[in-house]
Amino acid sequence: MRKFSALIVFLFLFVVGFSGIAMSKEAPKYIKVGTLYASSGPFAKPSTAEFKGLNFWVHYVNSKGGVYVKAFHKRIPVKLVAYDDQSSTATATTLYNQLITQDHVDMLVADFGSVLTSVAVPLAKVHKILLFDVTGTGSKFFTPDNPYIVLCSLPTSGRWPYTLADFIISEKINRIAIVYSSNDFDQSQAVTLHNKLKKAGVDIVYYHAVPSNTSNYSIILHNIKAKNPNAVIEFGYPNNDIAFLQNLESSGLKFNMVFTVFPGQLFKLLKANVGVKALSYGYTYPTPPLLRYNKVNLGMGIDKFEKEFKKYSGKTPNFLNIAGYNAGLIMQKTLETSKKFDQLAFRKAINEFSGKAFTLDGLFKVNKEGAQIGEMLPVAQFVPQGQGLKMNIVYPPSMKTAKAVYPAP
Amino acid sequence: MYRKKGIIYGLGITVLVIILFIFLPNIYNNKSFLFNLMLYMTLAEGLNIIYGFTGYLPFGYVGFFGAGAYSAALAILFLHLPPLVAVLVGGLGAFLIGIIFIPLLKLSGAYFAIANLAASQALYYIVANPNLEKITQGPYGISLANSYNPQVSYYVMLSILAFSMITVIFIKFSDYGLALLSIKEDRVSASLAGINVPRERSIAWGLSSFIAGLSGGVYAWYIAVFYPTTVFSLEISVFVIVFVLFGGIGTLVGPLIGSLVLYSFYNFIGISAPQYFQLSYGLLIIIFALFIPNGVLSIFEKRGIHVP
Repeated sequence: MRKFSALIVFLFLFVVGFSGIAMSKEAPKYIKVGTLYASSGPFAKPSTAEFKGLNFWVHYVNSKGGVYVKAFHKRIPVKLVAYDDQSSTATATTLYNQLITQDHVDMLVADFGSVLTSVAVPLAKVHKILLFDVTGTGSKFFTPDNPYIVLCSLPTSGRWPYTLADFIISEKINRIAIVYSSNDFDQSQAVTLHNKLKKAGVDIVYYHAVPSNTSNYSIILHNIKAKNPNAVIEFGYPNNDIAFLQNLESSGLKFNMVFTVFPGQLFKLLKANVGVKALSYGYTYPTPPLLRYNKVNLGMGIDKFEKEFKKYSGKTPNFLNIAGYNAGLIMQKTLETSKKFDQLAFRKAINEFSGKAFTLDGLFKVNKEGAQIGEMLPVAQFVPQGQGLKMNIVYPPSMKTAKAVYPAP
Repeated sequence: MYRKKGIIYGLGITVLVIILFIFLPNIYNNKSFLFNLMLYMTLAEGLNIIYGFTGYLPFGYVGFFGAGAYSAALAILFLHLPPLVAVLVGGLGAFLIGIIFIPLLKLSGAYFAIANLAASQALYYIVANPNLEKITQGPYGISLANSYNPQVSYYVMLSILAFSMITVIFIKFSDYGLALLSIKEDRVSASLAGINVPRERSIAWGLSSFIAGLSGGVYAWYIAVFYPTTVFSLEISVFVIVFVLFGGIGTLVGPLIGSLVLYSFYNFIGISAPQYFQLSYGLLIIIFALFIPNGVLSIFEKRGIHVP
């Protein structure tokens, strides 16, 4: 009997010991981060900019000996595995799958924007790998039954115009014209703004969608003028904003308020294409680097980032470089805080630091579905200053740097 | 005797392809690559039916693919049909579009190619029209996340590939195929010989559009979230045409070889040397166009080896 008991105890210890050994995963030589970028096609410019930002993060953490991984209590270098999807969703599907099933990446980062992120969402879900969504703000991606997605930068597009709507209401601007490009990103903004303004009793005199590849707004602008609005809001991609502002400038039409999305994100690009005059007194959503977040508790502040990024790439960073870097920071924090090295543990760790991490991109806060709700986009206005432009934040009051010049002279 | 032998060889190759794609995921588990390979093989066989046998080159072939994807997706969303039935609806939707586009067959050569391209673009703009948001969801994309099943859709794709191959075998080794080939050679002579040219080419057109529609339907199911730009992308038409031309038109094996070699190479470069992608893929196409303009199978034909 005693021998039998000893045998049982031995077996128990053996099983427990063995399972303990089996459970403790060995630390990998490096953390494999997999991503896609587009070197050609319609998304090439923003995608490569975002990719450069992510590359910079990898370069920076590796120069410090790697990223600290709490699950293994040590620093581990990061290895970036990246493929070129050429802006094609069919190619992107194969390559995301390649990253998951062949390269067995530890962390999966989506390519730029909603279209190239869309094919990664179901794949990540079925392979149970957490997708770090950099700028894919499409609302369809975030569902209660999918814990395998986290939006790192920018709120979901439907939330973008919250402050813009508040600004219009607070300034008592009536008679609004809204023209938007017919894509997920711009339509969701238009719908939010339309509903919020309607609810507040603001008169919407013009509300129309145009194809995303619209390159001439001349007739649309004259149609808008015929409705005599006090403010014209144009939601579009950079190419739309450029065409809209160029056409507005050449048409000689004047409005009391003109809002476009991308001058606040890609200021240099817009300034080079439409000129200072066309941007003067125009409104936009400012994002970093126009917004200067230096008091951060994760990663570098904007001043340091600009300096380091310039040293690394020889160029001044734009918003998309920052978004790529910011995705790296979110992964870094995930690895630093996750007790286990597995995908659901990563998500759990993110939930824990959500609402507490403040990066150069703003407050990182996600909801239950993984959608970004922390970052808030204020409203800014460009005013002439010498030969150039000065950006003033005009709303919300907590961030306000100057009073809006309304109506525009 | 030649026909019987051809059918047996053709069916043998079909069985081989089926077995291959059943077992390949055990060796190489990037199922998306295998799925896309089957998809392009199927589309290449579908295009082969209209281009290889009748000489009509539809540059807007992707229009049928997109119509199939949207028909299937809408059948799932609005009619709540099971995905398998919805795929069939996708095929029928594209077939219906094919019937509407039949008048295009009165054109020929470059005129047909351009008119077909314009028709596919018109379809794209109709589907992506924001005013049709309540029906097609406009340009804002469709999500079939609740029906997503990559395992089953993989085998459905394989079945459609097999169906397209059997259709090509039937056409190639039947009187109907001969009638189509005579239309390709000379429509007037074929008509004088008693062939009902409009009817025969319309049947081929319908079959070709049906196969593209089925492929579109299963593709929509496989990727679950997609936009009009995804399924009406002209890149799909260009790929399929290049694959068929590379392999050899009017054969069963040509489109398969074209898709296998070029799509594998496309992915191989994309994965191993993405920075040289455009350069190397472009060079490869130029080399093939210069040295094997009639497709890979022409090399065998020149040596007297008949490949089905």
